[in-house]
Amino acid sequence: MAEFSTSIKDKGNVSIIYLNGYLDAHTAPQLETNFSELIDRDKYNIVVNFTDLHYISSAGLGVFMAYIEKIRENEGDIKLSSMSDKVYNIFDLLGFPLLYEIFKSEDEAISKFKETGNVENKK
Amino acid sequence: MKMITANLTNNLKFRLFMGIAVILFFFKIFVPAGDSPGYNIINEILVALTVISLIVYLIELMGYKKINPISMVMNVGILNAIIFFMISFSGSILNLFFDNLQGQPGLVFRIISFFYVFLILSFLAYIFLTFRELFFLKQNRNLNTYFNTMVVFFILASLSSAFDTLPDLSFIKNTFFIISILLIAINSVRISWIAFLQKKEKISLLIISIVIAVLFIVNLVNSSGENIHYKMLASFSPSLARFLNILMIYGAIYFSVLFFTTLFHLPTAEAYDRKAQEVSSLQYFSKLITEVLDFNDLAETVTDIATRVCNADASWILWSGQKEFTTIAHKNIGYIDARELSNFIYKNVKNKPSNGTEVLSLEKFEKISSLSENYLSVAVSPLKIHNELKGYLIVAKKNSSIFNDEDINAINTFSDYATVAIDNAALVEESIEKERLEKELDVAREVQRKILPSRHPEYIGLEISSVFIPAFEVGGDYYDFFEISESKLGFVIADVSGKGISAAFIMAEVKGIFESLSQTITKPKDILISANKILKRTLDRSSFVSAAYGIIDREKETLTISRAGHCPVILIRNGQAETLRPSGIGLGLNFTEHFDNSLDETKINLDDEDLIVLYTDGITEAKNTDLEDFGLDNFEKILIENAKASPDEIANKVIREVTVFSQSHSQYDDITLVIFKWKSKIKSDGEKEWQSSALPLKIKEM
Repeated sequence: MAEFSTSIKDKGNVSIIYLNGYLDAHTAPQLETNFSELIDRDKYNIVVNFTDLHYISSAGLGVFMAYIEKIRENEGDIKLSSMSDKVYNIFDLLGFPLLYEIFKSEDEAISKFKETGNVENKK
Repeated sequence: MKMITANLTNNLKFRLFMGIAVILFFFKIFVPAGDSPGYNIINEILVALTVISLIVYLIELMGYKKINPISMVMNVGILNAIIFFMISFSGSILNLFFDNLQGQPGLVFRIISFFYVFLILSFLAYIFLTFRELFFLKQNRNLNTYFNTMVVFFILASLSSAFDTLPDLSFIKNTFFIISILLIAINSVRISWIAFLQKKEKISLLIISIVIAVLFIVNLVNSSGENIHYKMLASFSPSLARFLNILMIYGAIYFSVLFFTTLFHLPTAEAYDRKAQEVSSLQYFSKLITEVLDFNDLAETVTDIATRVCNADASWILWSGQKEFTTIAHKNIGYIDARELSNFIYKNVKNKPSNGTEVLSLEKFEKISSLSENYLSVAVSPLKIHNELKGYLIVAKKNSSIFNDEDINAINTFSDYATVAIDNAALVEESIEKERLEKELDVAREVQRKILPSRHPEYIGLEISSVFIPAFEVGGDYYDFFEISESKLGFVIADVSGKGISAAFIMAEVKGIFESLSQTITKPKDILISANKILKRTLDRSSFVSAAYGIIDREKETLTISRAGHCPVILIRNGQAETLRPSGIGLGLNFTEHFDNSLDETKINLDDEDLIVLYTDGITEAKNTDLEDFGLDNFEKILIENAKASPDEIANKVIREVTVFSQSHSQYDDITLVIFKWKSKIKSDGEKEWQSSALPLKIKEM
C-alpha cells in the first residue's frame, strides 16, 4: 500500500490532525500514536481533517472507535471534516455519521467546539 | 607403527650412549692415567663420543615435546644453580672424606669423581640442547649453517685444548676459542621468540634472564679457578672443561642479550599483546559469524570481544529494532546504567554525521553520580549497513584509563565485522518471524475456509452462485446460508475489520452467532440487534463487523434485508440496478439503543429473473496500478449487461473483470460475491415436483 502521513496543529484549544495518503491496517498504528499523544497532553478537542486522505480501510476506521470513548469521557470529541466523497461513502456505509459529527470544512468543526465550549462556560 | 619405530631408535640411541658411558667408566677406573698422547687421544675420543651420543639421544627425546621457551629457560636456570652448588661445595665435602687429595687418587675417589663429572657432562649436554632449541625457536630463516659452524668450532676449541702440551701451538686452541666466542656473540643476537610472549611472561623472563646470566658468569669464573671441581674436571678431560667454559660463556652472553632484548620489548609488549588479541578475536569472530545465528548470542559475543580488544571495563549495544533504540547485550554493566548512559550518548551523537568511532567524556553527564560504577569515558562506534545506521557499539572505561588511538582503531575494525554479523543474524531472525507469520496466516486461511459454506442449499426457483477469493492476509470476509424452513432461506454477508488470525477468530464467532440466531429470530433487524449485543462481550473497541442479513421467502416471494454498516445489496431488475440500503451502524461500533434505533429493514417483492447481489468491498475497492477503485458503477454495469446469464456465469464475468482491472496490483482484501437469481416461473412450473418431492430441500455439494 502507498504512503501515509499525519501532522498535528493546535488551533486554540482544538487540535487538528491532518491525514495524508492511505490509512489501512499497516499505517493505522501511526494515527493511534497521534491520538495517544494528544490524550497524554490532555487534548480532548480533536478535529480530524481528511482533505488529503485517499483511502481508509476498516482497520483505519477502527482507530477512531478505539479512542472516542476515552475522549468523550473527558468531555472532548473527535469531529471529522473535509472528506472526499469516496471517503465519506465508506464512513457513511458503516453508519459513522450517526456516531460522529462530520463537517464539510475544518473551520465548521472548530467553531462547533467553540459553541459547545461557550455553552459550558456560561453554565 | 611410527611410534614404535621411534621408540626402537630411541632405545638404540640410549643403548649406544649407555654402552659408550660404560666403556668410559671402565677406562677411567681401570686404566691408569698417563700423560702419553695415546691415552689422551683415547680419553678425549671416549668423552666426546659420550657427550655426542647423549646429545643425540636427548634430541630424540625432546623432539616429541612441545617447547615452551620459558620452561626451558627455567630448566637451564635450575641446572645452573645445581652446577653452582656443586662447584661451591664439592671441595669442602670431598675434603671431609679424603684427607689427601694431592698425589695419586684412590679407587673410591676415582669412582666419585667419575660420577661427579658425568653429572656435569649430562647437565652440559642438556644446556647445550636448550641453547640449540632456543636458537631455532620461531626463526623464519634457515639458520642451520650458523649454528653448525658454531658447533664445529666448539668441538675444535674443546678438543684442541686437550693437546696443549706444545706451547708453541697454543695459538691454535686460542684461535678456535676466540672464534667460538665470536660466533656465540653473533648467534646470540638472533632472538626472535620474545616477541611472541605475553607481557606477563616478558616481565618474568626479564627477571629470570638476569639471574641466569649472573649464574652463568659466576659458574664460569668458579670453574676456571684452582678448586677441586676444576681439578676433577681437568684431570678427567681438559676438553670437557673447555666445553663447560664455552657453554658458560655462551650462557652468559645469550642471557645478557636476552635480558636486554626483553627489556627493549617491554614497552611495546602491550601493543603486541593487543594486536595478537585482536587478530585472535577477529579470527574467532569470523568463525562465529558463520556458526551463530541467534541474534542475542551474537550480540553478547560482540560486546564480550569488544571489551577485550580495547581493554574496556564494559560494553553494550544500542540497537534500533523496528523504531526505537534499545540497549542489548550488556557486558559488565547493569541495564539501568546502560540505559542512562545510552540516553546521554544518543543525545550527543544522533545529530552528528557519524563516520567512525567517537570518544565521549562523561564529565558533562548530569546523572553520573547515579551510576553504580565510575565510568569516565565511552567510545561510541556506529553500526552501519549500506549507509543506514542500525545502532551503536559502545564501550566504557572507568576512571583509571582513557581511550587511546589503538583502542579506537581496534573498536573501529571490530564494529565493521560486528555490523555484518549482527545484521545477518537479524535477517535470519526476521525471516523466521516471517515464516511464523506465514504459518499464522495459513491457520487463519484454514479457519476461514472451514467457516465458509462448502455447499449451496438448493431451493426450487432460486439459483445461487458464490465466489470467495482470499487475500494473502486473511481479510475477514464471511458469508453463509441458513435453511430456516422449507420456504425460507436466510443469508448473511459480513466483513470483519482487521486482518489475519484475529479477524479469522472473530469470523468464527460471528458464524456461531448467526447460525444460532437465525434459528430463533425471524426478523433480520432483530437478528442484527441481538448479534450486536452478543458481540459486545468479545469485540475490542477498535474492531467491528459490517454485516447484512436477509431472508428470502419462497412462498410469499419476498426479500427482507437489514444492514449493519455493510455494502448495500444490489437488485438487478429489468436492466436496472437498484441498491437496497436500509440504514444501520456496523456491529460493534455502538452498544446502546442508538444502534438498535439506527437499524432499518427493507422488504421487497421478488419478480421473475430478479438478481440479488451481495458483495464485500474487496470488489468495489479493488485497485489498479494508479490506485483507482474498480468502483460500484463499473460493478453494476457488468451485472446489468450479464443479467440474462446464469448466476455462475455472471459471477465469473465479474471476477474476470475485477482480475483484469487489478492484475498488476496485488489483491489487498478478500473478495466475496454472492448472486441469487429468482425464477418465479420455474417455481410455478415445478409446483407439482415440489409437492411430490419428499425432500423439499435438495442439497447440492459444491
